[in-house]
Amino acid sequence: MSTSSVSKGCFVFKPSAKKKKTLSLEDHFSHGCESAESSEKRFKLCQDLWDKIKSDTEVLQDDLNRKILDSLLDFTRKCSSTRQLSDWASQMRASEIPTAALVLGVNVPDHDMTFQSLSELLQQSVTPHVASVQAKECGALKHLMKRVLERLMGTDVTVDDEEEEEAEQTSTPLHKSVHCSLSTLCDWYKTKTKKSNTPGKKRSSPSRDDPQQPPVVIIFKDLEAFNPKVLQDFILICSRYIERLPLMFIFGIATSPSTIQHMLPHSVSSLLCIELFQSLSCTQHLATVIDQLILTHHFPFKLNAKVLQVLMSIFLYHDFSVRNFIKGLQLALLEHFHSQPLSVLCCKKKDALLNVMQLSHSDLERIRNLPSFKRYVEKQEPQEQVNLSKDDTHLKEVCQKLIKGLHKYHKNYYPVLRCLHTLTSSLPRYPLGKQVRELHLICLEKNVWENEDYQTAMKLLRMLAKDELVALLQRCVEILQPVKSKKMKNAFLQLTDLLTKFKQLDTVAAEPPPCVEEPIISPVRNLQKKTDLFQLQKTLLEMNESRRAKKLSPFEVLRNEALEFLDNLVKSHLSPPESHTLNEVCYYTSSATVRRHLNATPRTSIQAALNSPYYYLQNDRLKTVDGSVSNSAPDICIAYKLHLECGRLINLYDWLEAYATVVSAAEGNNPDSDNYGKVEEVKHARFIRAVSELEFLGFIKSTKQKTDHVARLTWGGC
Amino acid sequence: MTKMLQHSGYEEERLQRVAELLPCREVQAGMLLSLMGQPQQCSYPSIFIYGHRASGKSHVMQVLLKELELPHATVSCVECVSVALLFEQVLLSFFGCDAASLLPRSPSLSDFVRIYRQHCSQTPAKQTRYIVMEKAELLRDTDANLLPALLRLQELVDDNVTIILLSEIVWDKFRPNTGCFEPLLLHFPDYSKGELQQILSQDKHPSYSAEFYSSYINILLGVFYSVCRDLRELRHLAALNFSKFCEPLAEGKVKETDTHKLWRNIEPHLKKAMQTVYLREVSSLQWEQLQQMEERECGALRGLSAHTHVELPYYSKFLLIAAYLASYNPARTDKRFFLKHHGKIRKTNFLKKNEKTSNHLLGPKPFPLDRLLAIFYSVVDSRVAPTASIFSQISSLVTLQLLTKVSHDDQLDAPKYKCAVSMDFICAISRTVNFEIIKYLYDFL
Amino acid sequence: MIICIIGFIDVQVQDILRERFCRQQLPDRLEGVEAQHKHLLELLKRTAVHGESNSVLIVGPRGAGKTMLLKCVLRDLLEEKEAQKNLLQVHLNGLLQTDDRIALKEITRQLHLENVVGDKVFGSFAENLAFLLEALKKGDRSSSRPVLFVLDEFDLFAHHKNQTLLYNLFDVSQSAQAPVAVVGITCRLDVLELLEKRVKSRFSHRQIHLLSNPTFPQYLERVRTQLSLPDRFPDQEFCQDWNDGVETLCEDKSVQDVLQKHFNSSKDFHLLSSFILSPASLFPLIYPFFSTSSSISSSSSSPGVTPLLLLPADLLEASRLCFTDSKANMLHGLSILELCLIIAMKHLNDVYEGEPFNLQMVHNEFKKFLQRKSNSMYNFEQPVIMKAFEHLQQLELIRPVDSTAAKTQREYQLMRLMLDHSQIMEALQKYPQCPTDVKQWAMSAFG
Repeated sequence: MSTSSVSKGCFVFKPSAKKKKTLSLEDHFSHGCESAESSEKRFKLCQDLWDKIKSDTEVLQDDLNRKILDSLLDFTRKCSSTRQLSDWASQMRASEIPTAALVLGVNVPDHDMTFQSLSELLQQSVTPHVASVQAKECGALKHLMKRVLERLMGTDVTVDDEEEEEAEQTSTPLHKSVHCSLSTLCDWYKTKTKKSNTPGKKRSSPSRDDPQQPPVVIIFKDLEAFNPKVLQDFILICSRYIERLPLMFIFGIATSPSTIQHMLPHSVSSLLCIELFQSLSCTQHLATVIDQLILTHHFPFKLNAKVLQVLMSIFLYHDFSVRNFIKGLQLALLEHFHSQPLSVLCCKKKDALLNVMQLSHSDLERIRNLPSFKRYVEKQEPQEQVNLSKDDTHLKEVCQKLIKGLHKYHKNYYPVLRCLHTLTSSLPRYPLGKQVRELHLICLEKNVWENEDYQTAMKLLRMLAKDELVALLQRCVEILQPVKSKKMKNAFLQLTDLLTKFKQLDTVAAEPPPCVEEPIISPVRNLQKKTDLFQLQKTLLEMNESRRAKKLSPFEVLRNEALEFLDNLVKSHLSPPESHTLNEVCYYTSSATVRRHLNATPRTSIQAALNSPYYYLQNDRLKTVDGSVSNSAPDICIAYKLHLECGRLINLYDWLEAYATVVSAAEGNNPDSDNYGKVEEVKHARFIRAVSELEFLGFIKSTKQKTDHVARLTWGGC
Repeated sequence: MTKMLQHSGYEEERLQRVAELLPCREVQAGMLLSLMGQPQQCSYPSIFIYGHRASGKSHVMQVLLKELELPHATVSCVECVSVALLFEQVLLSFFGCDAASLLPRSPSLSDFVRIYRQHCSQTPAKQTRYIVMEKAELLRDTDANLLPALLRLQELVDDNVTIILLSEIVWDKFRPNTGCFEPLLLHFPDYSKGELQQILSQDKHPSYSAEFYSSYINILLGVFYSVCRDLRELRHLAALNFSKFCEPLAEGKVKETDTHKLWRNIEPHLKKAMQTVYLREVSSLQWEQLQQMEERECGALRGLSAHTHVELPYYSKFLLIAAYLASYNPARTDKRFFLKHHGKIRKTNFLKKNEKTSNHLLGPKPFPLDRLLAIFYSVVDSRVAPTASIFSQISSLVTLQLLTKVSHDDQLDAPKYKCAVSMDFICAISRTVNFEIIKYLYDFL
Repeated sequence: MIICIIGFIDVQVQDILRERFCRQQLPDRLEGVEAQHKHLLELLKRTAVHGESNSVLIVGPRGAGKTMLLKCVLRDLLEEKEAQKNLLQVHLNGLLQTDDRIALKEITRQLHLENVVGDKVFGSFAENLAFLLEALKKGDRSSSRPVLFVLDEFDLFAHHKNQTLLYNLFDVSQSAQAPVAVVGITCRLDVLELLEKRVKSRFSHRQIHLLSNPTFPQYLERVRTQLSLPDRFPDQEFCQDWNDGVETLCEDKSVQDVLQKHFNSSKDFHLLSSFILSPASLFPLIYPFFSTSSSISSSSSSPGVTPLLLLPADLLEASRLCFTDSKANMLHGLSILELCLIIAMKHLNDVYEGEPFNLQMVHNEFKKFLQRKSNSMYNFEQPVIMKAFEHLQQLELIRPVDSTAAKTQREYQLMRLMLDHSQIMEALQKYPQCPTDVKQWAMSAFG
């Protein structure tokens, strides 16, 4: 749809019913995407992949939250049980409402999932009565009441018409106000429990698994956003019913627990019995997500360094939200399958092989034009080159081969990556980064072994003491063990017998004398303390000296051997994806798109539009060589351009005259005619409109100081 | 004794029970009873009882009315989001639900009085009816004529009914400007130390002797009485520290009688508890955990308030820092702080004579959005594009209440904000991005 | 035997006195306001009997006996057969009938015309009222019956929209449609200023002022009559020496001083009765309650044949209770920390001439004190101080300057102290085990 308006704003279009009917997701997908013929297949692939990712992430979420959720459940159980026990401490607390302060961190978008699973778990294991409320739906006390009652007693059906009443209401009608008091809740609860109680059981002996009185849990999802007054009143009211109704609260806190003190005065907080729960930090969360989704060969779809970088930076710099990260991933996925026709091959190996067979001629042409494939072709001898460029069937076979190769590459890449990480992550000053994702980025960029950090890392490794080294190798073995690929298998074997050799070393002879060990172990040890790079280099150098000086002990020989082996592993498997043919099939590369979608820059785009209108309205008369704006540009552009030359305060009249000259130049009337650059009504009006538009866009604003001036809100010549 | 009690029209043993249920409140109970007179006698229209929290106002009322089985309705004004609820509860507890159901939608005071009248004409009061209103101060916020009407309700419904208002706030703050019917004032004084001792000693631990517990209470009061006289708080503290107090007994180091040892054992803990009195931050369980933890790495006692560290995205941190600077520095000093080469401007040059009190006393000043951004761009080390997410971060900081929006929500251009975080909070934040904020703060120049 | 007789007598005495003090039972004849009584009676009689319309305002301060006057007049009026037969009464109260719709409903109800009105719809208020009065006409008699409208808290009716009710009532009372008498009762002397012009013009500017300022003897007389038993009291000799007791009491110097004090503070009879009623004075005498309770009952529980003498001591006690400053009472219950904060505020007030302050400043002041000279006080964490501060605000001992509390942080919200110097000092004196250094700090001129 479109509007007559020129200005970029947001317009609401009521979707017409039939349109909504016709357009399915798939139509949206295939609409205007490359090479429609394979679109539905790609759409299917995309869907499947996304579903898999989604389910995986959900599973991940759950077992990440497992720990804290379990502790919360225990807490609730404890409360509900102690309420019936009659030991001294619980009697002393009988009048207080048990409250769990759940600190979740500032990544608010992720909280919903947590609360979702929390309430589900509660309902499964502890109590059927769980209600969770949000701040924005409880502006006033009675709204909060209403929500809580509705959600507990399950009378959601009446919500809508009551909403209307809320809209028009002046004072709550009677029947509703009867509902809206906690006493009704009490009665309801009494009947519930009576029903549930089997006559056989005794009050006095509450069994942990099914408490006689399941607690009534109320979850406040976002405590900070609640209106303190409302919360205080609600708690006050609840505390009046506490002995009749086993209430308990859960506060979802984003920032820090001390907000409770800020919100509640002592008179209220003294009614609560608060216990604190801290969820794990979102960075750890992200680490695991990346580990499961990115650093695995299960998903054929890959991100290249730049895109990953963009997603990471959005996470780290802007919102700590894992959910958004995954959304970003989804976007990339969609974009990839949407824009890249060859993404039909981005799927499980055997499907891919099948798909290769069904490639159309145009697709094959696309393949021939792939840069990576070109590179590959150049490497072949001439005859082969001809075949590849001419013979489609041959090309298909080759493609199958290449696809296989690509899959192998992935299979081997990640285990080796992890090995390298395990080795380097324990080194002082983390030459290759603390997190595995950093290492991954490095490897994606270029050949990691040409990186001098890698060299230093290797040097440091060469100085490891035996026990440390063995431990690390052991971990590497554990990593390699489960991998099912030929290369990795024998790598695993080699490593294992290296390890055995290490073992033998000290079983056979204790003869590497301590005098040799000492200078070797100690430097690494005291390296930990050293901080500046220069120092490090120096020590490394002198160690090399010392090593050259004397003959190597068998341990050192073995160590070098092992490291050589690892180095080879790295060299053979950690080459960046660009070096592999057909990588375009799997790797999504356009970071710009992702950035534009996820991290839009409205102001810069406006300025771009004003600076070079051609960019948006593809009109050749607006083409200009340098940054300057042609005279025939829209008024606002000219006004903008002129205002850039002014100081903080702009004299409107000067501005107008400057504008007038420019415009009349555009009209092409000759400079020395007397009415050249003179202001007549039309120009004046146009100018005024341009200025007001600029003001609307927030580039200028009128000032109190001088009436005929406007203040500029932009800095410098930007 | 017998004679006196016989007069009052209640059986003796009831009064005895009341007396037992109301330790240290006999005087007030006596006054109230004498005011209420005998059940069938008519009583003063309205009584206003004021006193501190946990001085037994509502407790005394409840006990008296329940034990002596007088017809009464107890209403907590917090609960009455609308007057309808109030009327309803009163009618319900006096005349049963059929009366309550007579109330129309959004009833007016006159509806209430009408229904009340007709019902009490049907069932005239043999005994004085009592309406107890807890947290009466909230009545002032409802419509203006409710309070005066209630005060002379007896006259309006002409029934033998007495309104009893309970509040923590003195009557002078209630009186409407055109005056009203003056209730009888009755003050519930706070408990003296001895009384507190007596009351607290009543809830003794079953597995320990009474005198042991009372000695514990004695120690507790010795420490806390000076700063905290709130019965509820003291009880909380008692529950909190008792297990600690008993520890040496459990280990069998000392005997119950050896008060001095026990005192030396518990005293440091109580002293620490002093720091968090009134804060109610931890339940007893976590309290013990904290204490153990803090025995291990001996820091200051950490409650909720200690968990002030907040993880924020990188730019949010800088936005927050910028906001802090913007709200605690005068705008005219920005030039000096954030221009690379501002020439030699000494503090004395731009320090006005009149400003002697530091901004950290006066609190944050509001600042416009563009100032915030300007400072932000100059403090953040890397070059940042003004992306949408930067702006969304600002708004999310507002929802997290680290910033507060001063200007009205519907003012779109140039909104104004304030920074709502404390000094040490911002210091902690800026440490994580190693930005020494002190250098940029005008107050610390 | 004698005991139970006394008990019996007590109960009677009590009933009588309670009737007087609680229900404002009508006295047989009013003192001091005979003129007004006569005037009003005349007025109403004309309406009731001769069917003239009238409107009158009874104006007087609270507790001056306006309602009492009216009630007496009505009582006397209804003694006449004529009036009793005719007169219809409508009692409205500004507190209850908060707008004219409700008021009209009430009128209809009190005239027992609900069924007549049924569910008719009326264009205007006037129509409705006219219809009601018409309906009255259709009574047994040809001429319509006189209606007496009593508007208590008259000034509140003036706040109704367009003052429709008042306008129409006065209008009716002007035009001779139906005989109505409108009696307004108000405590606002400027009530006429509240009326709109059109309303005021229709009001016969008849006002009865009850600006009762009795002389002290009258006041004393009043007290005596209030306390003394009527002659129709069964047990004569008991009644006799009771009244003698009252006599002696009123002679007593100290008692007279107390009463004088009250007299000067206010002449409100409600207040007076509440004072006499106030627990310390009267009831312990009649039956002392828990014997544990303090001097009051110990004085009163003096056994004897006539235990019913009011002792001056009790009245003194009562007045002491009446005159204690309730704020001081509250201050007594504060924690030492809160007290310190208040002192800090006081100093700030002294320094900055009553400029508002915020928590930070107060805390600062407090810290200064701690650094300089304190051995008894701890240095508390900010949150603890905050809680104490909140508590003070909750007790409304301090009040925020502007109500826009939501916007600003609590630490920085500007406050004012609602106590004055003397109150604080007095509280400090009375405060149980107040550390001396705190006392000194409070005394010291500049914090």
